[in-house]
Amino acid sequence: MLLFLANIGWTMRSYKRDGYYESVLGFQHIPKATVWAFYAAFLMLLAVTHLTSRSAPEEFLLRLPEWFKLSVDVIFRDARIYFGLSVAAFVGMIVWREFLTRDTVGWILFNVGCLFLGLSMTDYDFRQIVGKPDNVPIVGMLFIGGYFTWLYFKKAVDNDRRVAEGRPLAEQELKEQVLVWPDLVYTEMLCMILLTALLIVWGVFLQAPLEEPGQAVKTPNPSKAPWYFLGLQEMLVYFDPWLAGVVLPLVIVQGLMAIPYIDFNKKGNGYYSFADRKFSVIIFLFGFIPLWVGMIVLGTFIRGPNWNMFGLYEFWDVHKLEVLNNRNLSEIIWVVNLEQPLPKPDPASGLISQCLAIFMREGVGILMVIGYFMALPNLMALTFLRKFYVRMGVIRYMVLANLLLFMALLPIKMVLRWAFNLKYIVAIPEWFFNI
Amino acid sequence: MTDKKPSTAEIMAMLRKKSAEGASAPPPAPATEASAVPAAASAPAEPAVTPATPAAKPKGTADIMAAIRAKGAIAPVAAAPPAPAAGTPASGTPAAKPKGTSDIMAAIRAKGAAAAGVAPAAASVAVAVAPKVAAPASAGKSPAEMIQAMRAGSAVVTESAKPKFPPKSAAAGKKQELPRRSFPAVFFELICTPYYMAWTLMSAIGGLWGLGIARFMMPNTVLELPSKFKIGSLGDFPLGTVSEKFKASRGVWIVHTDSYDGQNVVYALSSVCTHLGCTPSWLDAEQKYKCPCHGSGFYINGINFEGPAPRPLERVGLVLGADGLLEVDKSLKFQEELGQWTDPKSFVRVG
Ligand code: FES
Repeated sequence: MLLFLANIGWTMRSYKRDGYYESVLGFQHIPKATVWAFYAAFLMLLAVTHLTSRSAPEEFLLRLPEWFKLSVDVIFRDARIYFGLSVAAFVGMIVWREFLTRDTVGWILFNVGCLFLGLSMTDYDFRQIVGKPDNVPIVGMLFIGGYFTWLYFKKAVDNDRRVAEGRPLAEQELKEQVLVWPDLVYTEMLCMILLTALLIVWGVFLQAPLEEPGQAVKTPNPSKAPWYFLGLQEMLVYFDPWLAGVVLPLVIVQGLMAIPYIDFNKKGNGYYSFADRKFSVIIFLFGFIPLWVGMIVLGTFIRGPNWNMFGLYEFWDVHKLEVLNNRNLSEIIWVVNLEQPLPKPDPASGLISQCLAIFMREGVGILMVIGYFMALPNLMALTFLRKFYVRMGVIRYMVLANLLLFMALLPIKMVLRWAFNLKYIVAIPEWFFNI
Repeated sequence: MTDKKPSTAEIMAMLRKKSAEGASAPPPAPATEASAVPAAASAPAEPAVTPATPAAKPKGTADIMAAIRAKGAIAPVAAAPPAPAAGTPASGTPAAKPKGTSDIMAAIRAKGAAAAGVAPAAASVAVAVAPKVAAPASAGKSPAEMIQAMRAGSAVVTESAKPKFPPKSAAAGKKQELPRRSFPAVFFELICTPYYMAWTLMSAIGGLWGLGIARFMMPNTVLELPSKFKIGSLGDFPLGTVSEKFKASRGVWIVHTDSYDGQNVVYALSSVCTHLGCTPSWLDAEQKYKCPCHGSGFYINGINFEGPAPRPLERVGLVLGADGLLEVDKSLKFQEELGQWTDPKSFVRVG
């Protein structure tokens, strides 16, 4: 088992070596290239020693220092820091896009990513999680997703610069035609064959992660949704099942379908651009990167037994104690602030008096939610979304505003949960209605 | 109108012309082209119309169109004699407005009959449509409407003609009911058109699919064990403990605690998370139930205190039998937030 895992770690390392070496040759400037060459040579030596000695990953020459592991653990263990940092990284990505999309910088980023992964592989706990056949594709996805985001920004930044200087777009310069047959079809066929081969190799070497037969009274611990639904599962931590499991997914799907009808910006059509479509790109990437991919990473690598959060290099201890006591808004208001017992609807009394009692209890929360969805769009129309309101008309604007608010609901609820241990803003368990 | 196949555009043009004519037609000429069909039917030009009878058996839209075209062609001929339209007043009766293809077909068949001699019937049908067309003629929408419009067009009855013979209308409306063929035959014919066949088949297949899917709702297994079972005597469950003995087999914990309302009681908690239904685990060291799916936590007495679960775990029925053995009844459910935990069937008092 250990040998097998060691092999994974080692394959990744040697793969990295080759990659580095080729790219180094691509650099023309001598001084830069020498740095790279040294780096590559160092890595190659390392690979050779490991290749020949074939030791367990714990004894690799190059390992992560403990202080690094500890600090990473601290970051990832805490949802607040994790989410805050991922949002910060997102903002940084947009602000420093010009710098980040330079070739060298991109390459360094890639190196750092690989190094991080390869070195982390030497840690036992990390290997247990990341090396699981379940999770290998997610690592792949992170690299691929990162690459394509980078590529988009690179092209967009290039085009924006062209527009600013009054030069034609890159897409217009490359207008010469290519034939579908044979050029495109051949390329597609090659891709198809290579991918099939890859899938076969993958299927042979990594066994399908099947588990024991399901049982109604036994839930594996931790119990994880398929990776692509981990965002939804994360949402379920903060919302009631019907909201996070039914309403919000529907809103997400419908919202995505509504995009073409909401979007009035005719620019950015058929070419990469950031400056022309700032709003849409930022909103989309925010929803996609911190809220969807970020949550997948969180769900895959960080959520452990009992759905507690664990640092990347931390042992998944079933008995890890985390205090997560939380309260409903109504309890905070009535019990903590007014120091009274919660008004309780009397099941024997009529419907109206029950409703009144519930409203007494949850009124503030209900009004807050109504205000959030009714008043905020108008406020937004008067302030920073004024241009949108004017261009889009009432209905389209309202759809847009409400979709935005729905999207914002998740981070808002997360922050509330962390900051005030708030469970539900409106909690009516009598009717299975909680927000 | 004698064209073989008028395109939509042509039809529209024609209609517009017609309605213009209809509007501008001077009153002294009561029998405009428009009132041709009823006029023809009303006798003087009977021979001229008879060729139209084959149209009585329309098979599809194409036939309908053909029939209409035929009528249109005959119209000018029939229009010659200045016969005050006999049937026109029928407009007064609320003859059924054609709604779908079948109605349209019925109407046309009725027209054929009219041509054969039952004049008023045709009139009533034709006129029923006429008012509709007057306004939207220039903006015909669907093919069906177009056809209606056509028919109306060929029988445009100027408003002026309407009020002339109101009394006749009632009788006219009645006569129309006479069917030419038996109902089954018509029905069979309808079913046999490819259009209807396709729909029938599709709904039949859809229905079968639906049944097949419904079958999945009733898997071929027995999931439920008998809901009542004995678990032992009170002494088997010391104070402050949670027994996991029946969790794997029956999905209940037997809890003996005094942390709820300060009463020393034994009760059975259902091991189903109130968030989404996973099975939490009892963590003895931390004295809590913890759900592995989204991290809900419950105190030993079942009250929720962390994570997303919105309400406490549910109790199931528990009674002390005459033989001194506790008996769980899983068919009963007691929810704390509904105040049901005070129900004497939901716990057994100790001491
Ligand atoms: S199912 Fe138990 S916490 Fe979600």
